[in-house]
Amino acid sequence: MINDYVAAGKVYLIHRDFPLPMHTYGYEAARWVNAAARIGKFEEVEAALYDNQKAWTVDGNIQKYVAGALSDADFKRVQKLMIGCGMEVKPPSGPDNPSGCPLDANIEADKQLGNQIPVKATPTFLTYYKGQKYPAASGVISWPVMKQYFDSLLAQ
Amino acid sequence: MSETAPRITNNGSAGRILLLFGRVALAGILLFAAYAKLKPPVPGMRWSKASVKTSIAMFAMNVDSFQMLATPHQVSVVAHLLPFCELGLGLWLLSGILLRFSSVIAMLVFGGFFTLIVRTYMLGLEINCGCFGPGEKLGPRNLLVDGSLLALAVAVTLGAFFLSRKRGGEGAPSSAPAAEGAG
Repeated sequence: MINDYVAAGKVYLIHRDFPLPMHTYGYEAARWVNAAARIGKFEEVEAALYDNQKAWTVDGNIQKYVAGALSDADFKRVQKLMIGCGMEVKPPSGPDNPSGCPLDANIEADKQLGNQIPVKATPTFLTYYKGQKYPAASGVISWPVMKQYFDSLLAQ
Repeated sequence: MSETAPRITNNGSAGRILLLFGRVALAGILLFAAYAKLKPPVPGMRWSKASVKTSIAMFAMNVDSFQMLATPHQVSVVAHLLPFCELGLGLWLLSGILLRFSSVIAMLVFGGFFTLIVRTYMLGLEINCGCFGPGEKLGPRNLLVDGSLLALAVAVTLGAFFLSRKRGGEGAPSSAPAAEGAG
């Protein structure tokens, strides 16, 4: 989608985090990706975490895959941003109970947006076209099928 | 003999009324399901070829998320055919023509839906059902609804066969309204 439609200016893609409490390392993964986003390396780290999801969801070793996706210098910058955001720092339990991790504010803001939809499953895709909000879709959807949907919208 | 004959007639009437309600309910559900899949995806949008195309494309994403079909082409074919099949089957059931056949097909369709929902639920897929339009998360409620619809379809099928056989046994096929048991 990014190569075909985002690069061509047909689709504007916004990624939002919605880590679920049932996924033990989900929040920590969101922190790493947000830290990478702050140095402009969101796509690389997100792809690495998706590709290796089966491994880190078992042992929680997210750092290994973030390091593999970045140069040493970039990884050091991300590590610096992750100070105070380790696995031992629990996610905020509410707006009045911040965690101390500076990255959590973005994640919590995304979660609030998700709750407004409301997100009932992950991943959820929400589409806006010509100012109108289309019903959310969720689950694993192959690109050719999603492409047909975008083409039908763009043909309107 | 003179006491039993009216009872059979009353039971037959009650059966026909139940069957009528059952098949109209099934038809209504199928027609609503088709409408929900084809209606314009955004409130206020007019019905048009483009709006139907978008609705079908959205339904295709629902179909794909069930992870049942191997290729996007199969997903597309199912997404394009299913709403119109539901529409056709709903109208057929409503007409009452060849009810035994239409009810068997409805039973197979609802059986297929129920099996699919059970499979998806057991796999733990977090998806929207798409059964009655977008934005409906698949959960225990869908199991209950689809199970009930399957039970209704089975009941209508059994009723259609039972009444048809009974009419044949009584030797009075012409007494049955055509719209209720022409099958």
